[in-house]
Formats: sequence, C-alpha cells, structure tokens
Amino acid sequence: MAIEERTISMLVNNQPGVLSRIAGVFSSRGYNIRSLCVAETINPEVSRITLTSRAESDFTEKIKKQLDKLVDIISVTDFTGAPSVQRELMLVSLLLTVENRREVLRAVDLFGCRVVTMSEDHLILEITANKDKTAAILKYFEPFGVEEMNRTGAIAVFRQKREG
Amino acid sequence: MDTIGADIVVKTLLEEGVEAIFGYPGANTLPLNDRLTGSRIRHYLMRHEQGAAHAADGYARATGKVGVCLSTSGPGATNMVTGIATAYMDSTPMVAITAQVNSDLWGRDAFQETDIIGITMPITKHSFMVRDVNQIASSFRQAFELAGSGRTGPVLVDIPRDILSAPCGDQPKRRPAAPPSKPAGNPEQIERIAQALSRSERPVIIIGGGVKLGNACDRATEFVQTAQVPFVTTMMGIGSVATTNGFNLGFIGTHGNELANRTVHQADFILALGTRFTERSTSRIEEFAPLATVAQIDIDPTSIGKNIRVDLPLVGDIREALAALIPLIVSRERKAWQERIRTDRQTLGEKLIDGGCGQAGTLIRKIQAAMPRETIAVADVGLNQIWTVRTWQSHSPRSLLTSGGMGTMGFSLPAAIGARVGAPDRDVVAICGDGGFHMNIQELATISTYRLPIKIVVINNGHLGMIRQMQDLFYEARFTTSFLGDTVDLTAVAKGFGIQAERVAMDEDPEEAIARMASAPGPYMLEAMVDPNAYVYPIIPPGRSNVEMICGK
Ligand SMILES: Cc1ncc(C[n+]2csc(CCOP(=O)(O)OP(=O)(O)O)c2C)c(N)n1
Repeated sequence: MAIEERTISMLVNNQPGVLSRIAGVFSSRGYNIRSLCVAETINPEVSRITLTSRAESDFTEKIKKQLDKLVDIISVTDFTGAPSVQRELMLVSLLLTVENRREVLRAVDLFGCRVVTMSEDHLILEITANKDKTAAILKYFEPFGVEEMNRTGAIAVFRQKREG
Repeated sequence: MDTIGADIVVKTLLEEGVEAIFGYPGANTLPLNDRLTGSRIRHYLMRHEQGAAHAADGYARATGKVGVCLSTSGPGATNMVTGIATAYMDSTPMVAITAQVNSDLWGRDAFQETDIIGITMPITKHSFMVRDVNQIASSFRQAFELAGSGRTGPVLVDIPRDILSAPCGDQPKRRPAAPPSKPAGNPEQIERIAQALSRSERPVIIIGGGVKLGNACDRATEFVQTAQVPFVTTMMGIGSVATTNGFNLGFIGTHGNELANRTVHQADFILALGTRFTERSTSRIEEFAPLATVAQIDIDPTSIGKNIRVDLPLVGDIREALAALIPLIVSRERKAWQERIRTDRQTLGEKLIDGGCGQAGTLIRKIQAAMPRETIAVADVGLNQIWTVRTWQSHSPRSLLTSGGMGTMGFSLPAAIGARVGAPDRDVVAICGDGGFHMNIQELATISTYRLPIKIVVINNGHLGMIRQMQDLFYEARFTTSFLGDTVDLTAVAKGFGIQAERVAMDEDPEEAIARMASAPGPYMLEAMVDPNAYVYPIIPPGRSNVEMICGK
C-alpha cells in the first residue's frame, strides 16, 4: 500500500490525557507522528490538534475511525489531498561569515524570510510557509552553517467553506 | 453522617441499577467501603483484584448488565489489569473503579500511587479521573453509558480518597436518559446486502460475539430460519443461535470444526455479524474464504474491514440491521449447496470420534446431561476450553462463557462467581485445566465463604496440555516447561478451602461422581484425571489456512 504524508486535524476536549490517547492510537499501530501542534481554539474548552504522519493509504480505515471513537475527540478532519492552506513556522539560526554574507542576505530577500535579529556574525530567520517550502529553504541554508533550527509542524485550514 | 463523595458514588451506582460489586479494599477505598455498607449494593470480597475484575466480567456476560469491580490504588489497581484487558478483548460492559491516593500527593510517587489511567489506556474504552466531588455523579453516569453502549467494553473510573471523603451537597438528579440511538444502518446498503445474499448460490452466515452483545440472538435465529442459510460462528458467537437448529455447522478457526472451516472456504457469499475476523477465526488471512463476497455488519466502524477486505460494509446495530434485512430476504432452496454440506458433514463426522474431544468430551457431555438445562458453563483456557466449547450444547445465549480474545488462564473460577451472583437461579459450572485452576485458585475461598453453589471441574492432565500439544506437534516432541507435576493434591486443596471435592481416576467412569456433584447443594469440585496425551483435534498449524487442519501427529 502506498505510503503518503497525512495532515490530520482534530478538535478535542481540552483535558489532561487526551493527547496521550491520541498518541496511543498511532503508536499501537506502528505509525510515527512526524509533527504535532496543539492550541486552544476560540472556545477554551476545546483544543485543536494538528498532526502529520506518514501513513498507508488505508489510513482512514485504520486510524481515522479509531480517532473518531475516542470520547474526547469532537471531530477529525483529514486534510490530505483536500484544497487547504497549510503553514508551518520555522526559526533558523545561521552563522554569518565574510564569505557567505552577501549570498545569505540575497537568499533571505528572495525567499521572503523575516529577519528576527542580526549581528556581525549571526542571524535568526523566521519563515512561515508550507512544509515543502520550509524544507527547501532549510536545505538551501544548510551548507552555510545552520546553528539551530526549530519548527512548529503544520497547521491547516480549508480553502473554501466545505459542504455539509 | 454528613454527605461525602462516597455517598454520591453509592447513589449514582444505585441509580445505574448496580446490585453487586466485586472488590478488594485498601486504605484508599475505605470511604467507599464504609458507605457501601448498609446500601442495597452487595460488595463481594474476592481474594485477589484479578478475581474481582473477572467476576465483574462474568457477571456482565451472564446478565448483559454492566459489571462493576473495585480496587484500591497501586497494587490493587495493577492487579485488575489482566481482568480489564480480558473484558476489553471480548467487549464486556464493565466499570472498573480504582481508588487513588489523595489528590495533593499526585505525581510524588506517593505510597501506592500508580498512573492506572495511563496503564489501562489501551485496554479501556475510556477512563475518568474524578478531580472534584461535583464531577462524581456525571463521571459515573458517563462511565456506565459508555460501557454499555455501542461496542460495549470496560471503562475505568479513578477516584482519589480525598474526593471520596470530601463533604458535599446533593448532586443534580439524573436526567432521564434519552434511549440510546440504535441505527440499523444505511438502508441502501441493507438492500444491497439482501440482494447479494438472495442471489448467492453458496451463502454462509458468520455469527460473532457481537450478536450476543447486541442482544440480537432471537433476531439472528429468525434471520437464519427466514433465509434458510447455513451458519457458522466464531468461538465468541457459540450459543447465539440455538445449536440444535439444523443450519449450524459449528465454529470456525484454529480450533474450530472442520465442517465450518470447509464450508466457509467454499462459500460464494458471507454475511458476517458482529465479528472482527481475528486471526484465530480466519487462520492464514490470505486464504480465508477465497471465493466469497463479504458483507459485514458491526456497530463499531473500526471493526469493519479491520482484518479482511469487505465488499459490503454496514455500520449499524445488529438487532436493528437484522430486523431491516429479514423482510428483504428471498429464501430459496439451494439444493447443490445443501447436498455438498450434507456430504461433508457425513464424511467429516466419521473421521472424528467424539468430535475430536475424546475422554474429556465424554466427561463434559455427561456433566451437561446431569445438570439442569439452563446451566451456565464457564470455560477456562487451554485444551479444556476447546473441549468445552466444542462439546457444551448451548440452549440459550448466555450459557457458555469464555475468554476468547485474550485467552486468559484463570478466568473461569472468578468469572463463574460473577455469573452465579448475576444469575442466582441458574447453575454454574466452571471447567478448567490444572494449570488454569492454579491461576486464580484463591477464589475458592470466595466461593466457600459465600457458599456459592458453583461446580468446579478440573480436567487434570498434569500438564499445560495445550502447550504440550504444540510442543508435540510443532517442536518435535521436545517437552519443556509444560509439566506441572503430580505432587499437588488438588482435591485436598479444595477441601482445605472448605469445598467438597473428589477425584475421578483416569480409567473410572465419572458418572456417579458427576451425579454427586450435580446433586450437592453447595459448591463442589470434581478433579477428573485425563491422559496427558489426549489432545484436541483437528488443529490448524501456525501459518496455515483454515482448510489445512491436521487430525493427528
Ligand atoms: C495467563 C496465561 N498465561 C499463559 C497462557 C498460555 N497458555 C495457553 S494454554 C496454556 C496451557 C493451559 O494448561 P491447563 O490450564 O492445564 O489446561 P489444559 O490445556 O491442560 O487443558 C497456556 C500456558 C495463557 N493463555 N494465559
């Protein structure tokens, strides 16, 4: 069965233990969670969890139905393949040298990265983009000496109002 | 006395119709034990928390009601784990209550503190940590609602001692619950299933444990009769449809009946009711029912297509779905199919003396003959389980209880206690091996103390018989770790617990001893010695398909 990257978003009761149950659904079936984002929604009793996982194409059969069954999960949405906007936030801390400075700054401009701080020999960038783009940007900067990198994992919303 | 949290627990349990709790106390349960006393709920003091959980499970299996067990925190709670997992694997409705250390001690590795919710997460439907007295009633109500609805199962409620002891006011009365919605499922799909079944030439119905759990046994019987279609069961489905009904071909799987396995293999249409097709039922999955279009009906969407490819899935309440299906079925005579099954039945029947159960089969048959018709048999695990489920004739749905999904040795004795407490008008006989008997042997004390007139049959082969058989067949008869020895006098042990007991030698006719057991007013233990080389046949070797049964070495 084909393995593909899945983005799943859930509305859950904002309660202790919920995340652990969700993690259990994935781990007990041998799936690895690749990224995870949790935050309260407008209603503080409800949180949204967005996660990505590489899963087989029978994902719906194996995982979504299990998630649907968890008492504290209000809804599960699979964004994979649906028209949606997906973003992740990445912070990259780069070493600046006399040799790379020009090229790095040109790339920062081209990629539309936000400069958080900059000193003689050091630069922190903030990048908001979809996962493919953050990956490409990171790959580009890597040879220049990435000191540290951290990213949030994807969050997503649908592009248009859904039916029903 | 002022009202405290424990009173709310008792009150809520009463509202839920609880009559019996199986438990074991500890410092943290004491506020609850104290307030249970004098209530209409009877607390049965078991001799081990595993026993308490199995007893609650047996109670639920015998009655269809939610079983309740109670333990203290730490070791009490962890002792229940096997019992909770056993209930989970067979979808038994159960509420397990664990007392927890005071909430100001959480996370400090306090005395007898364990994260029982974390430990039991994969083996419960859900769990509640009660953090506030005002949540007690709602947590318990939800727990019962969840345990007993949809695909039923165990729910755990963890409640700290300080909350049990906290003074509180009365809590809001239970709102009359809306009757749970029981959808039959998508009507178009029901139509399609009916058409496919009516058109098929070689149909078979597979009846799983879900038919009993969904209280759909009468409907399933009606369905079989209307459709005139032969049926097989899984081990958990045995007894759902009266076995005397001519359409029954036995149960499928590793230790199942050859006729059942063969018929499924040849079928062109399968209607599966309340089964998840575990590998115990299907054996080598790639070769299971290779010719069949498969329709599957289950209340639990995750059980559909979990293990096999399904052509016509239907998520719905079995009882309602069958009611919708019955009027749509066109019954027809399928002469060739019936003829084929008849011939198979004949040739296979000749091959196996006593249905492959030998001396033990005869013993169990004689026991059933000596006991009242409504007797409940509780089978343990091992050869004794297979012998029992293959021999015991179920005359009603809740007459044969066994741990199918988990295969927990030691289940039978405590589960029999629960069954008897739940069904005091029915006789209960626990049938186990010598290995499984040891595993919860302490519950003899419970039986003895409460004078529960449970009959216990230990089929003693001096070995872990099923392990021995596997070593004999698949490990070139290199026997190791399967000999239990003959130094323990089980009959004397039972007597020591205050239970009448006797031993029947291997070459002795058990009939008279059985008669004494059957007519004894109190509990009775019968130790029947059998040949350690008596195995169960046919059996499917690991990795083989359901039609590759072997009938000897
Ligand atoms: C708690 C537990 N431990 C181990 C097993 C593995 N096991 C399955 S059958 C069996 C042997 C059972 O022996 P006995 O109870 O004497 O019954 P017999 O097979 O001889 O009838 C064992 C050890 C199990 N099912 N449950």
